[in-house]
Amino acid sequence: MEAKTHETLVVNQFGPRAAAYVNSITHSQGEDLIDLTAMMRDRKETRVLDLGCGGGHAAFAVAPAVAEVVAFDLSREMIEAVAVEAKRRGLSNITTRQGAVEALPFAEGEFDTVMTRFSMHHWTDLGAALAEARRVVKADGSAVFIDTVSPGKPALDTFLQAFELLRDPSHVRNYSVAEFRAALAAAGFEVVAIRERRIAIAFGPWLERMNTPAVQAEAIRALQRLVAAPARQHFAVAEDGSFELDTAMIKARPV
Amino acid sequence: MADIDPKLLEILVCPLTKAPLRYDRDKQELISIEAGLAYPIRDGIPIMLVDEARRLDDAEEARLGAKPAP
Repeated sequence: MEAKTHETLVVNQFGPRAAAYVNSITHSQGEDLIDLTAMMRDRKETRVLDLGCGGGHAAFAVAPAVAEVVAFDLSREMIEAVAVEAKRRGLSNITTRQGAVEALPFAEGEFDTVMTRFSMHHWTDLGAALAEARRVVKADGSAVFIDTVSPGKPALDTFLQAFELLRDPSHVRNYSVAEFRAALAAAGFEVVAIRERRIAIAFGPWLERMNTPAVQAEAIRALQRLVAAPARQHFAVAEDGSFELDTAMIKARPV
Repeated sequence: MADIDPKLLEILVCPLTKAPLRYDRDKQELISIEAGLAYPIRDGIPIMLVDEARRLDDAEEARLGAKPAP
């Protein structure tokens, strides 16, 4: 079997699916985006970095209120799709850069705010990436980390990682809030606030976005049926396979 | 050719060495002299990945002052 690096996996998974992520309702809507917009209100001097921008929804949400947003992603196609969509929306202050979060091409303290939304679970080295985020944010700047999170309990955690990996081979790990806290502290961030939310995941569109092969989709359905009842209940697994995920929005500042 | 905003180039550094980059407008590349790498700019988007960068040859490095001329 052909050996693939994690970067190749991510690029292969997301490249052809770029448009699906730009158009995804799960990604383009959400109370977290409303929060982000509110946080950035009237920050006309602010330069923001969006790490792992994906379909660009966090960048689109804050761009009207800030001086500029740099949208950064590993996937070329994703970056291009974001550039096209930004233009379509008339958001001329969004620029795009392709690169890896573990080795950011920005000088120290270049950004007032670093944000990331639904990307950290793909990062191969969370510690290195958070250290890079800390390096490029101003000492008096701020950071917002949004992601799906693990409930923490081992049996629930294993179920979550298993179905996420079956759906998307570039899935690395969903961390618990406690793990995020520890990783952020190690990187030099102090947590200011945490907002936990649950999001509903419609089974069909969730698989379609990633173009998950039928054999893996069936395996997820089988797993949903076989897993112990508490796991099924925690994720509110419905008859049609739809379920709920835990998410967290962590606001932090450099220490 | 999509030209790139000089203000935005100012904030870019080499992802490997974190040193400033030199912009080669003709070749549409961002040169990291210390790393000996040229990062391509495609359609106005800098590709800041070491794996995608071109390695500078000796003559280029000498011309850019990275090494004494052979």
